[in-house]
Amino acid sequence: MKTPVSVLRLPRGPDPNSRGFDPSSPRFIALCPTSISACNEPGTDAGSLQTEQHARSMMRERFLRCLLSMANKQIQFDMYERVKVNATFGASDIDVLNFQVSDLQTPIGVQSEALIRCQDVISYSFDM
Amino acid sequence: MAMRQTPLTCSGHTRPVVDLAFSGITPFGYFLISACKDGKPMLRQGDTGDWIGTFVGHKGAVWGATLNTDATKAATAAADFTAKVWDAVSGAEVLTLAHKHIVKSVNFTKDSNCLLTGGNDKVLRIYDLSKPEEAPQEIPGHTASIKKALWCHDEQHILSASEDRTVRLWDRNTLEVVKTLSFDTSVSNMEYLADGDVVLITYGKTIAFYNAHSLDLIKTIDTPANIHSASLHPEKDFVVAGGDDFKLYKYDYSTMEELESYKGHFGPVHSVRFSPDGELYASGSEDGTLRLWQTAVGKTYGLWKCVLPEDLVSENPEPLLPVPAEIKA
Repeated sequence: MKTPVSVLRLPRGPDPNSRGFDPSSPRFIALCPTSISACNEPGTDAGSLQTEQHARSMMRERFLRCLLSMANKQIQFDMYERVKVNATFGASDIDVLNFQVSDLQTPIGVQSEALIRCQDVISYSFDM
Repeated sequence: MAMRQTPLTCSGHTRPVVDLAFSGITPFGYFLISACKDGKPMLRQGDTGDWIGTFVGHKGAVWGATLNTDATKAATAAADFTAKVWDAVSGAEVLTLAHKHIVKSVNFTKDSNCLLTGGNDKVLRIYDLSKPEEAPQEIPGHTASIKKALWCHDEQHILSASEDRTVRLWDRNTLEVVKTLSFDTSVSNMEYLADGDVVLITYGKTIAFYNAHSLDLIKTIDTPANIHSASLHPEKDFVVAGGDDFKLYKYDYSTMEELESYKGHFGPVHSVRFSPDGELYASGSEDGTLRLWQTAVGKTYGLWKCVLPEDLVSENPEPLLPVPAEIKA
């Protein structure tokens, strides 16, 4: 009767809430280039770096505020294949991969709850 | 004292795992990517199986996945008619390469500059990743879907396996076929080892080894079941294989005798690969799991811990688990 090999623990499974690639992991910190283009161009000074960083923060904040203001509003989504649909916006997921909407009006009926895949969306508009 | 193998089960996929690949050894260890019919290929730490991230973006089953040598890039082939290149550190999608049919296989050159793809439109394509807008070089010739396409001989040649029951060796510069191997049945999988210039081909219940230049047969191993995939140990000591009967088989490469067989998966095994250091091998199955198996059972490595009888008595700070209970879905 052979003894089974002992293990320290089981392999860690996926995190249900995110797609992973932990930015605080040593590998990420060592290998991931900064997304600020001013940093990568030679001869840029701290001033232009700061300007770009400021602009990026502003745009990000605007985008997040836009998502907040969309809650429970009627949105028109323009998508690929000439699809234009209206729906009531619910929420976005953390990576902005899916939008949760209600009462999605489609040519084959109204879907009471739906997820819209963001990569399929070209643009969306709404009255503020 | 002989020990019994404890495979490590990596869960997370919700559909069959159809392909897997290891990276080379990097300063951060080595990595494993798994292709799954759920459309969400995953990156894991190679020696522990710990999940690192999921590549999100494909709209169909992912049939093939690969990593470049230093695990900074990943490529995937999917049923949504695209191959995608990903940043394997951040998980971001870098490139989408549109094809005319389901893409089945992707392979990077050693310098990660070119990507070879093959799929159901029967054409091999070479993409220059530094000029992605440029049309790829195309190599037609196969008369049925391509299952696997691999660079070999310092990227001077390409090996391709197809449903047309042939394996072909192509010259990368002339884009012409150099040699063809014909089989009576479809080839299930293929692996190329630069060290030793060996190509491993599985078909039916056979694992066959050929010289990758001449395509002369070196040897064959006959197995009890239809084999879907096999892998040769980097030091050419062992061969591991898996297929329709859900088991993993281990053979001695020199004597070709069966050494061990392991049960564990709940479905046919679709892909088996040795890690770059040969200390473990990974298997992907229809049951949606990956399992990691030790080459030297009982050795302390990764999450496996060798427990000597004296250790069991003494104070041990690390919590040691006995055989982990199988979570039956």
